[in-house]
Amino acid sequence: MLKVSSKDMEIMETDSLIKRRTSHNVKMSSTEQTIYQSVNGPEGPLKTSDSLENTESTKKRPRYVSSDDEMIDITGTGTTSEANLSQSHAGSEMDELPPGIGQYDDFHTIDWQRDIARDRMRHRYIIKKRTEGIWDFVRGIHDAWSGWLCVLLVGVAAGAVAGVIDIGTQWMKDLKEGVCPQAFWLNQEQCCWSSNDTFNEGDHCAQWYTWAELFGHFRDDAWAFIISYILYVMWSLVFAGLAVLLVRTFAPYACGSGIPEIKTILSGFIIRGYLGKWTLVIKSIGMILAVSSGLSLGKEGPLVHVSCCIGNIFSYLFPKYGKNEAKKREILSAASAAGVSVAFGAPIGGVLFSLEEVSYYFPLKTLWRSFFCALVAAFILRSINPFGNDHLVMFYMEYSRNWIFVELIPFIILGILGGLIGTIFIKGNIMWCNYRKQSLLGKYPITEVLVISLITAIISFPNIYTRMNSSDLIKLLFSQCGVADISPLCDYNRNFTNVNSRIEIAEAGAGVHRSLGLLTLALIFKLCITIFTFGIKVPTGLFIPSLVMGAIMGRMIGIGMEQLAYHYPYLWVFQGACSTGENCLSPGLYAMVGAAACLGGVTRMTVSLVVIMFELTGSVKYIVPLMAAVMASKWVGDAFGRRGIYDAHINLNGYPYMDSKEEYIYTALAADIMTPRRNESPLCVITQETMTVDDIENILKSTDHNGFPVIVSQESQYLVGFVLRKDLTLALANAKKTQEGVVGESHILFTAHSSQSSLGPPAVKLRKILDMAPITITDQTPVETVIDMFCKLGLRQVLVIHNGRLLGIITKKDVLRHIKQLGNEDPESVLFN
Amino acid sequence: MNSSCIIVSFSVLIIWLSSNVHKVLGQYSDIRCKCVCPSTEVVNGSKTERNLYIGNVPPDECNCDGVVLSQIGYDLKNKEREFCPRCECHYESRNTTTIRVVVIIIIWAVSLLVVYMLFLMCLDPLLNKKRSTYEEYRDEVTMEEPVSPVTPHQSPTPTVFNRVGQQQDKWKRQVQEQRRHIYDRHTMLN
Repeated sequence: MLKVSSKDMEIMETDSLIKRRTSHNVKMSSTEQTIYQSVNGPEGPLKTSDSLENTESTKKRPRYVSSDDEMIDITGTGTTSEANLSQSHAGSEMDELPPGIGQYDDFHTIDWQRDIARDRMRHRYIIKKRTEGIWDFVRGIHDAWSGWLCVLLVGVAAGAVAGVIDIGTQWMKDLKEGVCPQAFWLNQEQCCWSSNDTFNEGDHCAQWYTWAELFGHFRDDAWAFIISYILYVMWSLVFAGLAVLLVRTFAPYACGSGIPEIKTILSGFIIRGYLGKWTLVIKSIGMILAVSSGLSLGKEGPLVHVSCCIGNIFSYLFPKYGKNEAKKREILSAASAAGVSVAFGAPIGGVLFSLEEVSYYFPLKTLWRSFFCALVAAFILRSINPFGNDHLVMFYMEYSRNWIFVELIPFIILGILGGLIGTIFIKGNIMWCNYRKQSLLGKYPITEVLVISLITAIISFPNIYTRMNSSDLIKLLFSQCGVADISPLCDYNRNFTNVNSRIEIAEAGAGVHRSLGLLTLALIFKLCITIFTFGIKVPTGLFIPSLVMGAIMGRMIGIGMEQLAYHYPYLWVFQGACSTGENCLSPGLYAMVGAAACLGGVTRMTVSLVVIMFELTGSVKYIVPLMAAVMASKWVGDAFGRRGIYDAHINLNGYPYMDSKEEYIYTALAADIMTPRRNESPLCVITQETMTVDDIENILKSTDHNGFPVIVSQESQYLVGFVLRKDLTLALANAKKTQEGVVGESHILFTAHSSQSSLGPPAVKLRKILDMAPITITDQTPVETVIDMFCKLGLRQVLVIHNGRLLGIITKKDVLRHIKQLGNEDPESVLFN
Repeated sequence: MNSSCIIVSFSVLIIWLSSNVHKVLGQYSDIRCKCVCPSTEVVNGSKTERNLYIGNVPPDECNCDGVVLSQIGYDLKNKEREFCPRCECHYESRNTTTIRVVVIIIIWAVSLLVVYMLFLMCLDPLLNKKRSTYEEYRDEVTMEEPVSPVTPHQSPTPTVFNRVGQQQDKWKRQVQEQRRHIYDRHTMLN
């Protein structure tokens, strides 16, 4: 263990023996240099492989590649470190190492560079072996296509699971109101699907029995209402209760939306069991139950989690992905694309969602795989045809009408309102979640769910627009009024005396006015209840409630515009379009734009949201209105608070997520944020050949650091490499078990050859587990550069050196704490390692 | 073992269901032609509230003539040519067998999970208590007699049961851990 005081630091001189290999990379003493070269020696075509890797690494770097000189420098560092690392292992194969090395513990951050280097090494090994025989050749081929095969399987499974969930939800949501006794597996719409005794769409046919009718009460009076009311509330409670109990008993990780956690996992964090099979099963079933219970939540967000579970499970079929956390995240990115693809029937939107919202590391290769995965998933879901309408979503709409220029103004107003609603929702929800986290309320998750669902059911039932399932409501609000629509929302004073006349805009009737009142109540209720619902311990998605709020808002403004155009058709702004035209302003389109704006305000998505929405409508005509609304909503939302709901939840939970989209402007230096600070206890280090097994075990026992720098000796303090705690523990245990004569006094060697005489017990050679190329920076490096390195290279830690001597270490947690501290937040809220 | 049980019962179920696919009642056929028309008042026909006409016809007959006129021809008073252009007919198909299989699978899955949940809530604590006391007792015995022979009470297939038991214990520990994170310490998923 060493003590580096600041005084020592200042008097350190530049060691003339140090060879600077790259600008701020590995620096070694002369003895080290020779060893290093001897390692390089056996690797023949070093130059070619090095240059190859250079091109590869430029492709494979995380996104947002900047062209600063500094960045190029960092690339150089990364490349060299990969080369060094792979060379340091190249002579030996990975399977010589004890099992478990290279894996991570729960709640740890992964080291992208190390994992990618490991994969490259494995890849090179397979390429080399490929020429040796037919079996190796086949293995090489299998290795090459396994990525595509894996995403194919993920896509198929995601599509199938989504189909099951859609059908299940369709069936179960109508159980609250009645049943189809002759074929209990059909919901109301399907029950009356082919019966010719209904006069209007949505009427219930003779085969469908409401609960009141099933109890023998056929008149439509107060008693029928009361019976239906009671049964509705009861079923809601049963479904919500089942969902929360199943989640609590089998897979607590299945609660919530999952997208904040998926984002964190994809940014390089390990949460064991979060993507497991129990989570998959319980989340799928819990989602069906929760949606059916009529709670204000959706199944779209959880579907992303579910398909990521599928991705994780299938990646274990292919060791290339299952055993390498960085590679596994490529599959997970593709899986999340498939999740959105099946949730909204929007394959391209899914890919863009994965790119814009969830993924952290998204090379082009992953883009194509995501594309393929989304395609396969959408295809499978389409062939299951869960809604019987030949589309992938409930609320698919086709509009054929053109929009006129003046409509951009209400669209932008919708965007502004959407941004406001989003802000109110985020602030309210975060406050409530924070309260739940800190108060006694958090102790009663089951009671909370039951109370929320009781309140929801009691308030929802009297209002027809909240009583119906949210997806049905969206469908209703999105749709245009046809000739035969008799719903109150389409109660216009139309005159059909002349058959040749088109469906013109008409004056709103009493039904529309009543609907506007009910819709206002529904909007207020949905906004309030969703704030309390998002975050309860059942699978809760956020897309559908936001879409509903936006669609209600949009439809109301749309009806207003329509009536304006009806009463003043010759205003110049309408350009005469409404004086003759057919259905010139359709409130359905406004509902759609409003939905997009509101969802944009809540999640702060832009590109992917617009693409999802136009894939929903099957028309590219409305891209400009959608873009205008979404942009306005994002501006307004960002003005009130920079974080979208998912980032706000990441922050609330203190997940170690470093946003690569944000810019950091700080003035500190690396020396200010590293551990140890000045006047703190010294850094815990290991020397490369003087320490014994007992010493190391003492260090492991007395500290809880996750890794230890290895230095040449206590006197010189020159850095050799970095060793992870887990690897060290495993390797020591393995050596004790397999190697003979290892006792407490055995020396631990991190060098290739011992410089000391071979007296005493045999030494334990641990060079294989040593990372010879840790990323190093000097103590004068600005913190912005350090943050950039963490974001763009996906590092876990960097070592701080001064004149080649080790000074300290900066971990991802240190950086996150620093960011929080400067943002005037509690730095201790970053929880994990 | 539980998962394999579930898989076996599901596959049996699916085979059984697919064997009587064609017994679906006539009312729930898989095709329909749905026509939506305005009220017949539009063409001065006799007043009717009816807007929806559904017929079970082949796709090429899915139009106003085939579905609507056969039902309300007499109401229109020879104004068919005026009325029919206002009607929109769509041919639709669905698969009730898929719906049936999926819904039954979901019912099975939910009920199995509920039964297992009740088992874990009520019976398992009792069984575990018994097992742990038995093990403690055995431990004491072995401590008293270090060289005791193989106990005769051992079950004939210890490996399978033990492995399943171990797996279950491991899983339970993991779930306990997850619960601690979420419900007690509130470190995740708030």
